[in-house]
Amino acid sequence: MIDQFQSIGRDLFVAGLISSHGGNMSVRMGDRILITRRGSMLGRLEERDIIDTGLDDNDANVTLASTEIVVHRAIYQSTAALAIVHTHPPYAIAQSLVRDEILPIDSEGSYLLHKVPVVSAELTAGSVEVAGLLPQWLKEYDLVMLRGHGPFAIGHLLEEAYQLTSVFETTCKILTIAESTGRAVKEYRKGSERYENW
Amino acid sequence: MNLASASPWHGKGLRIDVSTGGATVAAVPPDVSRAYLGGRGLGAYMLLAERVFEIEPLAPQNPLIFAPGPLTGTGAPAAGRYSVSARSPLTGTIFDGNSGGGWGNALKHLGYDYLHVTGRCATPSYLLVGGGGSELRPAAALWGLDVPDTLARLRELHPGSEAAVIGPAGERGVLFASIVNNRGRSVGRGGLGAVMGAKNLKAIVLAGDGGWRPRPVDKERFDFVVYEATKMLKSNPITSQGLPEFGTAVLVNVLNQAGALPTRNFRESRFELAEQISGETLRRDYTTKRGACRGCSIGCARRTATAGESGDGPEYETIWALGASCGIGDLTAIVEANYACNRAGMDTITTGATIACAMELTEVGALKGGPRFGDASAMRELVDAIALRDGIGDELAQGSRRFAAAHGHPELAMQVKGLELPAYDPRGMKGQGLAYATSNRGGCHLRANMLYPEILGIPKMIDRFATLGKAGLLINMQNLACVLDSLSLCKFTALAMKEDYYARLLSAVSGEMVEPQELLRIGERIWTVERLFNLAAGFSAVDDTLPPRLLNEPVAAGPAKGHVVDLAPMLAEYYICRGWNAAGVPSRAKLEALTVAGLAEAAGVEAQ
Repeated sequence: MIDQFQSIGRDLFVAGLISSHGGNMSVRMGDRILITRRGSMLGRLEERDIIDTGLDDNDANVTLASTEIVVHRAIYQSTAALAIVHTHPPYAIAQSLVRDEILPIDSEGSYLLHKVPVVSAELTAGSVEVAGLLPQWLKEYDLVMLRGHGPFAIGHLLEEAYQLTSVFETTCKILTIAESTGRAVKEYRKGSERYENW
Repeated sequence: MNLASASPWHGKGLRIDVSTGGATVAAVPPDVSRAYLGGRGLGAYMLLAERVFEIEPLAPQNPLIFAPGPLTGTGAPAAGRYSVSARSPLTGTIFDGNSGGGWGNALKHLGYDYLHVTGRCATPSYLLVGGGGSELRPAAALWGLDVPDTLARLRELHPGSEAAVIGPAGERGVLFASIVNNRGRSVGRGGLGAVMGAKNLKAIVLAGDGGWRPRPVDKERFDFVVYEATKMLKSNPITSQGLPEFGTAVLVNVLNQAGALPTRNFRESRFELAEQISGETLRRDYTTKRGACRGCSIGCARRTATAGESGDGPEYETIWALGASCGIGDLTAIVEANYACNRAGMDTITTGATIACAMELTEVGALKGGPRFGDASAMRELVDAIALRDGIGDELAQGSRRFAAAHGHPELAMQVKGLELPAYDPRGMKGQGLAYATSNRGGCHLRANMLYPEILGIPKMIDRFATLGKAGLLINMQNLACVLDSLSLCKFTALAMKEDYYARLLSAVSGEMVEPQELLRIGERIWTVERLFNLAAGFSAVDDTLPPRLLNEPVAAGPAKGHVVDLAPMLAEYYICRGWNAAGVPSRAKLEALTVAGLAEAAGVEAQ
């Protein structure tokens, strides 16, 4: 398991999806959570950076867990997710500041995401407010964007959540570049106008 | 008449006692439909609520419950299926099997969410169900006919009808007899055909058209989701190329290369003659035509022919069971033995696996004059002997567990809870070992197939030799399988689609928002109800195990060399992830969360 955290954490940093100490990941193992350490560098994870704590009950290890542990727990308690990846990708954050939902225009994003809801909260980091908001959205969508902060992606495997995160940032980058040309996007997909109802 | 309905559920089923021919229409409360969906889920709920765990499987009171699902006949991808549920005479567990073809659509069009059949006909009969009700007809002229002849005769008698029938194996009580419907599709496993035979019931014929047609509440949204789902199926190389081109037999070489193709009763995990029995060989030398269930774009079925015969199949599991499992590389013999099983109406997996068990018993000296590994003609003769319950075939018709025990070597039956293991050696894919051990209907790949993540990389490739960390993934797959069997969709759709597609299809059809996570919760409820049935029937954690060979005998050669299944830690993790105690009993909190605590209490299962 440590190998997966290390390789995906490294990729998240190299791909520019997080800053040096940003983001967090976890997996659920029954009634336990393995979550990255608060303040750890996902690009340089070591064994001590993976914190094993309870899903429902606190233990001493919670003192070392990521700030977002409250959100991760809430997601696991409300969904069948087995893995969560949370990052701070710049294009996605930029798009979330000007939209209430993000509709991919590229092929890969269309297939895998269809639509990404943007959710607003006053307190965006490790807050009970976010813990109350996000799971409701993640019952319906595998990736939800927290405005100005970053996406939370869920999956049965860490790699799945990582893939959705990566695809989402690429989607937002393409969207940003296409918009920057100032030209109308030529539609190539049948029924894409219905993606907002996905 | 156009009875287009906005609800995917009719809210009623037809209960028939074939002892008297009496039929009553019974209501299905909306909350039951929403909690269990239909198909397998509805069957599991009824079997537990009706305390069928107290009934002997071949007794008249053991009901056969035929049920389509809320997506059956709607035009959702590969949704033309139905389930049959009962207590299995082979395993004693709760059991369901499902089949494609057109029978499920026909039942749905007649306006029923299920048919519930109990009793025993005084003389061989068949049941005719139409828009105006049901009646028993004498089947003396059908009794003894094989499956294709029975289906053909019934089509002559009732043009345009759909029939589900048993063959000679079901009539004679072979414990792994199947139920077969038009288009050669089977409810194959667990001996539900024997349950039907014990009722003296040769067939259930759905004639006429009740006029019901599905009308999704949100038609535009439904069409959109179907379009998107079809895109996924057509872009996935397994569902758009591998299965359509080779059928399920495409897996022979895949599993052999992985060192997970059980060979000679699981003594080895690679077969030196795999190429001779591969999907590629089948396509080149035997396949004459592709086929598909109604409403399916994948088309994994196929017609084949040898020099002297033609028929449906064989599937991958069949090729394995009658081939590698018996050490046989003669594909003509396998194809023709498959035809014989289809004619008799027998599960090919248990047939082949039981013969393989007999072959090993012969090898170890426990069965004098028995068949030897690699002897294709002996295998072929035994298939007929089993169907007729002739000679040693009468013993083999009880399945491998009883046969091996009777000959002093119970450990040589490669089964879990009495159901023979299928074509995946779990020493080369450890998660599959946990899947077998925890399956509610015994050794089975259709409750959850770790082939997807461990070999095919769906949703992502995981380390197939690892043990810990797989329980959660397996549980989600088991829960999703419950959902698919209850919506009545083909599991192959899950090769390309995720649960959100199924939720969006059901939401569009019903007009009620069903979240993907809620759908998985429903699957968990169904799985738990099945577990409760088995606990009430006397099964326990002791039964969640594997044949000793898989736990103790390392694979001798090939990619899985040196591996056994380290089950104990996987099982402990599984119980924790399920919210069960160490004895495999669900906690009260879990039962209450799933709203099944009352059912458990009524069944006498004490939550921990």
